[in-house]
Amino acid sequence: MSTLPERTVASPQPFRAQGSRTGAALGKMLKVALRIVLPVVSIFGLWYGAILWSGLPAFVLPRPEAVLKTLIVDWPLIWEHLLHTLQVAVLGFIMANVVGIGLAVLLVALPIGGLVVMPAAITMRNIPYVVLVSVLALAMGDGIATKVMVVTLAGFFPVLVNTHRGLLAVDPIVLDRMRILDASAWEIFTKVRFPYSLPFIVAAQEITGSASIVIAIAIEWMISRTGLGYLINQAMMQYRGDQVYAVALVAAAISFAVYSLIHYVGDRLNWTEGPDQRR
Amino acid sequence: MSVPISIRGVSCSFGSTQALGTVDLEAEPGEFIALVGPSGCGKTTLLRIVADLEAPSTGSVRVGGEPPSQVRRKKMLGLVSQRPAVLPWKRAIDDVVFTQRIARKAGLPADTLLRDFGLGGHERKRPAQLSGGMLQRVNLASAIAHDPALLLMDEPFSALDEMKREELGEWFGRELVVRPRTVLFVTHHIDEAVLLADKVVVFTPAPGRIREIVDIPVPRPRKSTFRSDPLFVRITAHLRELLFEREEAAA
Repeated sequence: MSTLPERTVASPQPFRAQGSRTGAALGKMLKVALRIVLPVVSIFGLWYGAILWSGLPAFVLPRPEAVLKTLIVDWPLIWEHLLHTLQVAVLGFIMANVVGIGLAVLLVALPIGGLVVMPAAITMRNIPYVVLVSVLALAMGDGIATKVMVVTLAGFFPVLVNTHRGLLAVDPIVLDRMRILDASAWEIFTKVRFPYSLPFIVAAQEITGSASIVIAIAIEWMISRTGLGYLINQAMMQYRGDQVYAVALVAAAISFAVYSLIHYVGDRLNWTEGPDQRR
Repeated sequence: MSVPISIRGVSCSFGSTQALGTVDLEAEPGEFIALVGPSGCGKTTLLRIVADLEAPSTGSVRVGGEPPSQVRRKKMLGLVSQRPAVLPWKRAIDDVVFTQRIARKAGLPADTLLRDFGLGGHERKRPAQLSGGMLQRVNLASAIAHDPALLLMDEPFSALDEMKREELGEWFGRELVVRPRTVLFVTHHIDEAVLLADKVVVFTPAPGRIREIVDIPVPRPRKSTFRSDPLFVRITAHLRELLFEREEAAA
């Protein structure tokens, strides 16, 4: 058996001073603490600054402690409406992915379909959501189906475009390798095209995921009698600025959590950024 | 396992551009044929026709008496490109096993193959963690993992530096003695062609035709010391003459 010898060179071990590990751990903790503290300080600093300099009344710009108090007192009510919003956002997010990924696969299998699908998708993308909501509410009422459909229509476009781009991003040399091995179209799709497109699909999720929450709230604000959007509407009519801000805080926290979750899962699916890829 | 190749009257055009002139070429089972010629003369196109990745405009190709499509279906072809065709998310060993799974041919045990290719201890590394030379060896191991009878190589070592290219070329020559197979090898390096091949086929500029087939009458594998042999010097000088003469004529 012929074996190509691999040249090995003993790598020198770096000298580590005692206590440097403890110092590094402390430094890391400080870094994490600063990452949490600095945004909080800057947000509340700006908030108090705005109250001081704007002179707006408390029902327009309440103090942070009043908002936090409302958040605690009204939590059962906010939680109830939050569940409605999450239902619409999650269903819309799933549907946006089913439609977006489905259409992207169709376009790769039948490129001529792009002549029909892409103009329709771009048109749909550019119709103002207000129009979509109005038309769908007239056609289907103000139930959950209408809200899910609007979230779907608003969210599927980034998924479609990114997935399509990802499915076509396969290195032609890898496709030649698959053809030489007489791989089936299904094998090429599942074992090459789909994994290649994962980083693109993940990037789309980061947009569609948090947008689903924001869009769900906007629709509820317009037509619904449940959900955080509806709650904001009601609070505004009662000059309850504290409740509007409390709901806004919850919505922002949920959007951030969704974004972080997608980012975390995406990092583990993304072969270009996985921890094992780093040298 | 190795097969003969018969290329008769093969030419190829893409639209109004003739990529390859009419070519006739025969290869014995286990023979190593190097194709050299100026850029754009159609060497790669010929390789792709034999691989059933392109269709010839005229003529026919037979590999072991069968058309390339049939040979491809029998998973008897291996392809090594200039850039590694490895999957970026797969570890070295998984990439080799991937070839065997897709081809549904067990071939050699993947770990043995990688060890023989000097990649012992690196089996679980991903492409981003391997050097260019190591990556090309994973590429080679994956290309022959299903034990193909015909290996088609398109400038496989050209992305490597001079030292690595020589080292890998010499090793590959020895590897072919252990596991003989017919090889079609496209290269721009005359020295590499003479060191590795049984026959060097010299192409004319585009649209490429065969200008001359030069036999290398020294048994394989050849050591790099062969480069200082008067025969090596004579053959490479003759090949250079053939290539530069054509380029001057074209100019």
